[in-house]
Amino acid sequence: MSAVVISITNAANELTRVSALADQFAAANQLSSDVTADLHVALDEVLTNIIKYGYTDDRAHEISIQLRVEDGMLVAEIQDDGRPFDPLILPEPDVKASLKKRRVGGVGIHFVRKLMHEVNYRRMADRNRLVLKRHLKA
Amino acid sequence: MDLREGSVGGIAVLDVVGRVDSTTAPVLQEKLQSVMTAPQTKVLIDFTRLEYISSAGFRVLLLAAKRAQETGSHFVLCGVAGKVRQLFDLGGFLDLFTIAGSREDGIAAAQ
Repeated sequence: MSAVVISITNAANELTRVSALADQFAAANQLSSDVTADLHVALDEVLTNIIKYGYTDDRAHEISIQLRVEDGMLVAEIQDDGRPFDPLILPEPDVKASLKKRRVGGVGIHFVRKLMHEVNYRRMADRNRLVLKRHLKA
Repeated sequence: MDLREGSVGGIAVLDVVGRVDSTTAPVLQEKLQSVMTAPQTKVLIDFTRLEYISSAGFRVLLLAAKRAQETGSHFVLCGVAGKVRQLFDLGGFLDLFTIAGSREDGIAAAQ
């Protein structure tokens, strides 16, 4: 299985299909449990973000996810037609804050940036395109 | 995700098996809310068989820990190892929670 593609709508219950596909892809490409877990977490964070904050209307939208292995790296490419949103410009969470002061959100995209070795964002043709890459080893 | 609930000497012990993500985190949240309705409850969550936890899960844990702090409850975690420990570390969560080195230590800490 060199590459798989899935299209979902912007509904939270669609994420189980993505998770199942990621498992199939991981098994077919013999990804380590470490890489597989990182893929699951990154997809959960990115897609949840798009579904929760990406749209200003109530219509159904399509989000496409492609998974492939390329040059020793796992590549996940996510495209959506939501409002322009570059997750890379989000501020880092205050990981040193005390329990009382610690904000409950803001750590999802931080996980993506830390777990993936490359994260690239582009806005093209009214679509957000986010490419995540992670080395298959290490 | 599979939740297994037990009780050891007045402590509610929750084994979390599998994955905690945006799909399953609400189930964990509901369980914790029902366990922690009374003040001064004692809860130990064992993550030994947890594969991974995303930010949706950490949100639930943070809310529970904040609530425990406010109500004088004990909220302790154990079995935080491997990938799960790495995620706790990356998120800056290792110092926010009471994390015991073993289930036995966790039961002692939750007393």
